[in-house]
Amino acid sequence: MGGALVRMVGIGKRYGGVQACRAIDFTLGAGEVHALLGENGAGKSTLMRILSGDVTDYDGQIEIDGTPVGFSGPPDAQAAGIAMIHQELDLVPGLSVADNIFLGRELRTPLRTVDRRRMEGSARALLARSGVRLDPRRPVGELRVGEQQLVTIAKAISLDARVLIMDEPTSALTTAEVERLFDVIRELRRAGVGIVYISHRMEEIAQIADRATVLRNGEVVTSFDPRALSTAEVVEAMVGRPVQTMFTTAETDTGAEVLRVESLKLTARRPRPGRRDPDGISLTVRAGEIVGLAGLLGAGRTELLETLYGVAPRGAVEGRIFLQGKEIRPRSPRQALAHGIGLVPEDRRTSGLVLFHSILANTVVSSLPAYGRLGVIARRQERAASVGMAERMRLKFGRLQDEVGTLSGGNQQKVVFGRMLLTEPRLLLLDEPTRGVDVGAKAEIYRLLGELAGQGLGVLLASSELPELVGVCDRVVVLRDGRDVASFSTANSGEGELLAAAMGELQ
Amino acid sequence: MTKNSVVATLFRFQSVFGLLAVVVAAIIFSPRKNGAILFVSADNLANVVRAVSEIGIIAVGMTFVILIGGIDLSVGAMLGLAAVGSAVLMVESDWGFLPSVLLVLVIGLVFGALQGAATAMIGIQSFIVTLAGLQIARGLARIWSDGQGVAIAYGDGPNEAPASFALLGERTFGGLVPIPVLIFAVVAVAAIVFLRVSAFSRHLYAVGGNEKAARLSGVPVVRVKVAVFAICGLLAALAGIVHAVQLNQGSPNDGIGYELDAIAAVVIGGTSLAGGRGSVAGTVAGALLLGVLNNILALNNIDSNIQLLIKGLVIVAAAALQRLRPAS
Ligand SMILES: Nc1ncnc2c1ncn2[C@@H]1O[C@H](COP(=O)(O)OP(=O)(O)OP(=O)(O)O)[C@@H](O)[C@H]1O
Ligand SMILES: [Mg+2]
Repeated sequence: MGGALVRMVGIGKRYGGVQACRAIDFTLGAGEVHALLGENGAGKSTLMRILSGDVTDYDGQIEIDGTPVGFSGPPDAQAAGIAMIHQELDLVPGLSVADNIFLGRELRTPLRTVDRRRMEGSARALLARSGVRLDPRRPVGELRVGEQQLVTIAKAISLDARVLIMDEPTSALTTAEVERLFDVIRELRRAGVGIVYISHRMEEIAQIADRATVLRNGEVVTSFDPRALSTAEVVEAMVGRPVQTMFTTAETDTGAEVLRVESLKLTARRPRPGRRDPDGISLTVRAGEIVGLAGLLGAGRTELLETLYGVAPRGAVEGRIFLQGKEIRPRSPRQALAHGIGLVPEDRRTSGLVLFHSILANTVVSSLPAYGRLGVIARRQERAASVGMAERMRLKFGRLQDEVGTLSGGNQQKVVFGRMLLTEPRLLLLDEPTRGVDVGAKAEIYRLLGELAGQGLGVLLASSELPELVGVCDRVVVLRDGRDVASFSTANSGEGELLAAAMGELQ
Repeated sequence: MTKNSVVATLFRFQSVFGLLAVVVAAIIFSPRKNGAILFVSADNLANVVRAVSEIGIIAVGMTFVILIGGIDLSVGAMLGLAAVGSAVLMVESDWGFLPSVLLVLVIGLVFGALQGAATAMIGIQSFIVTLAGLQIARGLARIWSDGQGVAIAYGDGPNEAPASFALLGERTFGGLVPIPVLIFAVVAVAAIVFLRVSAFSRHLYAVGGNEKAARLSGVPVVRVKVAVFAICGLLAALAGIVHAVQLNQGSPNDGIGYELDAIAAVVIGGTSLAGGRGSVAGTVAGALLLGVLNNILALNNIDSNIQLLIKGLVIVAAAALQRLRPAS
């Protein structure tokens, strides 16, 4: 390709002992959707942060339209027409949706004051373009992760960039939203925009990408036409060995009821817009069973899990919750954990981790009383637990003392997951537990879930990935508007029926 | 050792190196008498640490509060209240040594716990809660003492404090170590050990690092906050008792501005005001650094206004150094 829009040659980047990128060559043409694949920690985000001016000391050259460039920072790259949607969302929680979209380039009135009316109007139009109905005046901090993702996408689109980098833009979006995003991407492609698309959802790659490049340990291993290879072949290139990605639940004998929820309804004392608290949900989870929660963004999956975990906003709770036949009403995570209920929250960075604390401190914080006596920590035991968990999760890390924030996204997720397993729960509530986790590690987590279920753990799994729900769960309960509207056994129904029920096309 | 880890170590113990640098400077610039360096005389060194002990004790408690991302502005006023309390109870109410000291300590503990509960349960920022606490403690001290300083005389008669109280101001270990210094040392060592080995300290750092994540991980956030403010109040009251015995009086105006010196010691010690990161050892070094600085400036008869300028510059320098700290 003579007219490559972006040409990166011999890119290298080192973090302490970790070689994140090693002599990488990467090109992107105008009107091309180029998928970047690789395991967690392969160097995808790092490479793209170099291109978008976020990382400035690296080896190698970057050319845009054949001209060598060296960006001093993201604004510099933006001026050159490069915009990036970051994997870890970078919005200001206290500002409204519109303010976030126009941050740093606010629209002005003739009097040079901020023109809110115009900003809100443009924001509404931008959001509508990707099929999102969201009030642009709402503070971003109140939005769900998926909604925040939609806002960043709208923001990136509004920059009118020639090169748009999307680092896992769909990790918290459900199928319906992803479809709409793909329509937008196709539109941009027609307009000649070059798009780098990073995702761990294999089925998306074949759908949208024109070309795919696979990184492993910071190096390019192969580049191919995604329509020409099967998922299994792609995954093998990523991981370096064949991987069993299809997870099929072994027919487990389900045991006694672990969780029973009867007509659960929460009337918040101060209702918050955009929250969908349970409005009459009934379901059961048996020992050894993995029950999925499906639904569109805003169906109330997260809110249900939060209510069960004792972190819902204050208000009147109707209905009943039984854990192993005993009625409970957890009012705090501490109480929930004491009952044997664990939660892996949706947003690991704000709700899961202390990013600048060590991997060790982050893994053991929920299970501390187990290591030591009389409030004194037994360091050896604590370390052993942490090491054991890291091995079980196949965590990719340097030392246990390293800050958890330096791990790649997927590996951070594994730390949050592992922490809950250390509490030895009877019921595990999972909110998008594999968000940003690579295929290999996903298979690993599914295997682990299967194993735990085999030991009698009950699992309630909220996921926006239909293949995950159908592949992993024994049963899937579909939520819509805070109610359970359907329940399927995955043995005899597929993704299509789930989607239809979630969208309300099926009663 | 790689270059990076050397740099990391330098930063990690930045306050200790800072303290060493100031001590070396103090020795160089110390006035001499008959060839002897005045700064390093046993008497002077004991005085330096003695002068530091009250702020030091307070700063240890302040470290706990700052580690959970809070601030306690009420400690200076609490010191005043505790000093007044000790004096009034023993001199005017004829209470014994032990009951007086215990009551004063309990007042500090409860006062701190209430402030902690107000921030944790009502969700008011600790800056505001303790700003109110400052006024309240100061007001209580004025009421309790009728607005007058209460002088402490020792003896067995009425209106005299028990002689056992005076012992707190004496020296021990062959007249070398002032007891206030010993108290400071015990408090500091206990706090350092506590933060190293206790499970509670993990919770404390987690709350300071990311409160929401800590809560979702099952950390009893409210309990941690109440306990931390209670510890801080208790230590401020202890400092007030030490203050009363060192000055032989309790005045409602004692301890004005001490909270700022304590915060300065914590910051120089490398603890992050954002919470979740820092150590008591650093705070001790920070408090000593400020003490040595005060001492050497005083020994050289530097104008007290200039002293303030120099102290200000040192605080800015310490904070600036922290900005340079490498990521990990
Ligand atoms: N700021 C940093 N400091 C230290 N190490 C880092 C930093 N950023 C990235 N790394 C390391 O560089 C390697 C590549 O990380 P990168 O985030 O690029 O991976 P990735 O391919 O995007 O993974 P994921 O799919 O999990 O997002 C990892 O080993 C990571 O730990
Ligand atoms: Mg990444």
